[in-house]
Amino acid sequence: MGIATLPDIQRWKGLGSSMGEILRVQNLSFRYPEAAKFAVRDFELTIKGGEIVILAGPSGCGKSTLLRAVNGLIPHMYTGEYLGSVSVGDHKVSEARMSELAQTVGLLFQNPENQIFMFSVERDIAFGLENLAVPPDEMRTRVDEAMRQLGITDLAQRAPHELSDGQKQRVALAGVIVMRPRLIILDEPTSLLDPKTAVELVELVRRLRDETGITFLIVEHRLELLVRIADRLVVMSEGRKVLDGGPEEVLADERAAAYGISIPPISRLRNQLKRDGLPLENGFGPDDLAEELNREALGR
Amino acid sequence: MYWVAGGFIFRRVNSPFHSLDPRVKLLVSAELFVVSLTAYSVTQLAVVMAVMLSIAAVSKILKRVGRTLIFSAGFSVFIFVINLLASHSLLTSAVYSVRFLAIIISTSLFFITTSPDELEQVMKSAHLPRDVVFAFTTAVRFIPVLMLDAIQIVDAQKSRGLEVEKGNLIRRVRKMVPVLIPLVVNSVIRSGELAEAMESRAYGAVSKPTSLHSYSSTKRDKLVAAGSLILFIITVYIYVRFPTPL
Ligand SMILES: Nc1ncnc2c1ncn2[C@@H]1O[C@H](COP(=O)(O)OP(=O)(O)OP(=O)(O)O)[C@@H](O)[C@H]1O
Ligand SMILES: [Mg+2]
Repeated sequence: MGIATLPDIQRWKGLGSSMGEILRVQNLSFRYPEAAKFAVRDFELTIKGGEIVILAGPSGCGKSTLLRAVNGLIPHMYTGEYLGSVSVGDHKVSEARMSELAQTVGLLFQNPENQIFMFSVERDIAFGLENLAVPPDEMRTRVDEAMRQLGITDLAQRAPHELSDGQKQRVALAGVIVMRPRLIILDEPTSLLDPKTAVELVELVRRLRDETGITFLIVEHRLELLVRIADRLVVMSEGRKVLDGGPEEVLADERAAAYGISIPPISRLRNQLKRDGLPLENGFGPDDLAEELNREALGR
Repeated sequence: MYWVAGGFIFRRVNSPFHSLDPRVKLLVSAELFVVSLTAYSVTQLAVVMAVMLSIAAVSKILKRVGRTLIFSAGFSVFIFVINLLASHSLLTSAVYSVRFLAIIISTSLFFITTSPDELEQVMKSAHLPRDVVFAFTTAVRFIPVLMLDAIQIVDAQKSRGLEVEKGNLIRRVRKMVPVLIPLVVNSVIRSGELAEAMESRAYGAVSKPTSLHSYSSTKRDKLVAAGSLILFIITVYIYVRFPTPL
């Protein structure tokens, strides 16, 4: 069994940018049994270690299906017509066991409530490690470390029904982080959060990436929040990848809106100003734009 | 509704009884159960009740035990009436109905003071299959979630004009349909997502999973276990040797 032991921590930290490719989806097509259409079609995607990649697209376009194919639920739990291949780290997803994949890819589902099993926060975080028969001492250290990273140490003894939505999500995320995955997938992580908590989550993702080098693949509709920390924006439509690039260029692309992507207001403003002939560079926050406009004004 | 739900939700309390090894709590509870079941006189029942209520007091759970008793009161009255009709003896009927309450208290002592984590531990040490234990703990974990679901659905349907409290019994049952259907649908969706999350977190990877917490009996646990066993044997001896009239 490929269970990470203590000396592995060092290796695990600072993985990422030095790692090269972490995910490779090659020509993937998948059709659920008895479904008429392929949910994902001819999909190509490579992600480098340490990147934060956003996956966007209209409802039903196959985002969750793609995520399942990356973490192994497809084809290990969902059978169906499967073409092409997916590799994560050193594993070929269709051939690796779920227990190996669980230590390479972590998936955070949309509703954190349904991924917390145990009666106390710390027991739940330990769930994956217990399943891998990690010795209790090492488990203790890793659980404590995960709680510290997510700032939930004081919740250790709480029961799930005593937590707010934001806290539940952190607990669920801790349960994923504790497995020391190299890639973490978040499926619409902000959809159940209020704006303030959502912003905190985005900051948390950025911090985790910077501290641990973990790669993030995030399905999200609230682009204005995430686009600031993203390295790439991938747009999907009807099972296919239709746009892929730096978030600024993808958001500047005329086609993005046509694919049902809601362009954040600040990007719309920027695009408009560019069309009006202002030579703007790319940046995201209102501050960036203000600064550029100031510079522009002084330059004239 | 919340009040009912509260009765099922475990709360952590610091008490000398709560902190016992769950297996010892189970033993004590089982002993009290037998002693309640076999008590046949007012004096015996009074003593057993007094012992159990003192344990409840020490465990700071008198209120919750009281709540359980209120729930069982209806059934206890029913037992009383049936026995009264059958035996025409007030005393016998009283003994039967109080004995029923004693049995309820003896079992609730265990369930009120034992966290789901500890229950899981007890089940594991009884060598129940992992899947059975997990199904049980998950069920307990989701009781509050489902209760909240139900409350929210009732509220939502009420705001659309459903009047749950009105009408005769059949009508009321019929009115539960718009509540039950979304509840069932919710639960099915939930269980699908749970299955995905289990798979994603390596459930079933090894046949013997480890546990974050290890429970070991302390000297105190052993003392309590031994002491309660001795008391139990003495009580049974007294029951048999010195039968008292009702
Ligand atoms: N378990 C399943 N069995 C059969 N078909 C499914 C299943 N899950 C999803 N589908 C179908 O596959 C297609 C893609 O669904 P998917 O859930 O991947 O979309 P999505 O982009 O995640 O949508 P959303 O934004 O609403 O979450 C849809 O047509 C959907 O109906
Ligand atoms: Mg989805």
